[in-house]
Amino acid sequence: MTPARVGALLGKELADLRKNPSVFVPAIITGLMSILLPFFVAVIVPAVTGERLAESSDFQVALEMYRDQPGLRGLDPEGAVQAWIFQQFLILLVITPVAASMSVAAYTVIGEKQARTLEPLLATPLTTFELLSAKVLGSLIPSILLTFASFGLYVLGTILFARPGVAWALLTPRSLLIVFLLGPLAALAALQMAVCVSSRVNDPRSAQQIGALIILPVSGLLIAQVTGSFLLTGTIILLIAAALAIINAGLMALGISLFDRESILTRWK
Amino acid sequence: MLRATRLTRRFDDRVAVEDVSFDVAAGEIFALLGPNGAGKTTTLRMLAGLIVPTSGSVQVDDEPMTRDSAARLRGRIGFLTEAPGLWDRLSVRQNLRVYAKLHGLRDAERSVDEALDAFDLRDRGADPAAELSKGLKQRVALARTLMHRPAVVLLDEPTSGLDPEAAREVRELIQRLRREGRAVLLSTHNLDEVERVADRVAVLRSRLVAYDTPAALRARLFGARLRVTLATPAASFVPVLQGIGVSDVRADTTALSIAVDDPAQRAPEIVRTLVNAGAAIQSVTPEQPPLEEVYLRLLSEHGS
Repeated sequence: MTPARVGALLGKELADLRKNPSVFVPAIITGLMSILLPFFVAVIVPAVTGERLAESSDFQVALEMYRDQPGLRGLDPEGAVQAWIFQQFLILLVITPVAASMSVAAYTVIGEKQARTLEPLLATPLTTFELLSAKVLGSLIPSILLTFASFGLYVLGTILFARPGVAWALLTPRSLLIVFLLGPLAALAALQMAVCVSSRVNDPRSAQQIGALIILPVSGLLIAQVTGSFLLTGTIILLIAAALAIINAGLMALGISLFDRESILTRWK
Repeated sequence: MLRATRLTRRFDDRVAVEDVSFDVAAGEIFALLGPNGAGKTTTLRMLAGLIVPTSGSVQVDDEPMTRDSAARLRGRIGFLTEAPGLWDRLSVRQNLRVYAKLHGLRDAERSVDEALDAFDLRDRGADPAAELSKGLKQRVALARTLMHRPAVVLLDEPTSGLDPEAAREVRELIQRLRREGRAVLLSTHNLDEVERVADRVAVLRSRLVAYDTPAALRARLFGARLRVTLATPAASFVPVLQGIGVSDVRADTTALSIAVDDPAQRAPEIVRTLVNAGAAIQSVTPEQPPLEEVYLRLLSEHGS
C-alpha cells in the first residue's frame, strides 16, 4: 500500500464533500434529534408539566441505581435522574456517525461509476485496497467529526439546561468510550457494509438500506438500557468494541474480494 | 513498446475479442477501427490492465502484464477513456493534482502547472470541471492522461462529440505524441481522423479483419489505379487504352480510371498514348479510394 496514493484520493473525497455539504443534512438532523430527545424527556417535559422526575414512579429504579454511584453523589434526586437519562440516551450518538457515513458511503463506488469517473481512476496504479481505504476514510472522518461536535453540543446543553453537576456526571469513561470508541467503530462497520454492497449493486439506495442495518443492534442496545433490562458497562462496551474491530477487519477483506473491477466496468450500465 | 498476443476475452458465452494480435512501436500511431460492439473498448481495457484477457497476453516494454504487475504497468500507460470522467465539483487543478499524486509524481504541483500550460488551460485551472465545455473537458482529460508522461497512450474515441476546431487540436496533439516517441493506440469511428494521423490501421470485428498501413490496405482491396482527367468526354479513349493492353479502364464523363500494376512505370506510356490519340489531358493522379470505402469493403467481405 502507498499512503501517498490513499492520501491523494482521501483529499479528493474530502474536497468533494466540502463542496457538497448537503449530503450531511440527514446526518445533521439525526444528530440534532439524538441531542434533543433526552432534553425533551429530562428537561422540557418536567418544566412544562411541573412534575419532578425524581417523584415519578417510572424513574425510581434509576434513582436507586444511580444514587450510590460515586460520580452522582453530589447530585440532588432530580439531577440524578436527569444524569441517568442523559447517560442512557448517549447511545443515540452512536447512530449519528452511522447515519452520516451512510449518507456518503453508499455513493462512493456507485457515484463514481454513475459519474463515469471510476474507469480513469482504475487506470492508475491505485490498488483496490488503496481505493477502498480512501473511500472508507473519506466517509468516516467527517462522520466522526460530526459526532464529536454533537457530543460537545450535548455536554454544553446539559451545562446550560440540566441541574448543576449533571454535565460532569456525563464525562465518565463509559460515556467517552461510547462516543470516542463505539461510535467510530459502529460507523466503520456500517460504511464498510455499504461499500461492500455498493460494489455489487447499481443503486445507492440499496447500499444505504443494507448499511443501515447496523442501526438495528444499536437501537436494541438503547431499548435495553432504557428499560433497565441490560446495563452497558465499560467492560461490555470494550467487548462490543473488540467484536466490532474483528467485524471491521473481516468487512475490509470482504470488501476487497467483492470489489470486482471487471464487473464494475463491463456489466454496469 | 506495446504488444498484444492472441488476446481473447469472453463474457460468459459471448466472445467480445478473439485471437487479436498486433504491436505498436514507439513513435507510431496505430488506429483501431470497428463497428459498435466490435470489441474495441474491451481490447483497450485489456491493454490498459483494467480487465484480464481470457487468454493471450499483453506486454508493455517487453514486460508481461499479469495480476501482480498490472498496477505497476498502469503507471507507464495513459488511458483516455471514452468519457472525460472528471470530478465535476472539483476544479481543473484539483482534478489534475489528484492524478499527479496517484501516479506518484515527485513534484505534483509543478506537474500540474506544466500540464495546464501544455494544454493551454492555465486560465481555467480554478474553474469547476462542471462548468467546462465538452471540448475543454476533453482537453483536461487528455492533460490528465498524459501528465505522467506515459510511454504508451491509449485513446478511446478522443474526438467524439467535439467541434471541428477542438477535434483538430486533439489531432495535432496526437501527432505531437508521435514526435515525442510515444506509442499511440487510437480507437475511433472517425475514418477521416485515421486518414490524417494513423501510421497503421487494424479493423476489428471481434477478430482482426485487417491490419496494415492505409496505403497497403487500399492496394490490397482496390489495386493501384491512375485517374486521368481530360478536357473532353473520356469514353472515346477507352478503346485506345485497351489497344495497349490496359484491360481495366473505366470512363466517368471527362475522367478515366485505369488499373495499373505499377503506376510510376505505366503512367508515361498511358499519357503518351492518350496525347497521340488527341486527348487534352488536364491532370494525372494516383487514384486513392477514401479509407471509408476500404473499411466498408473489409467489413462486408468479413460478414456481419
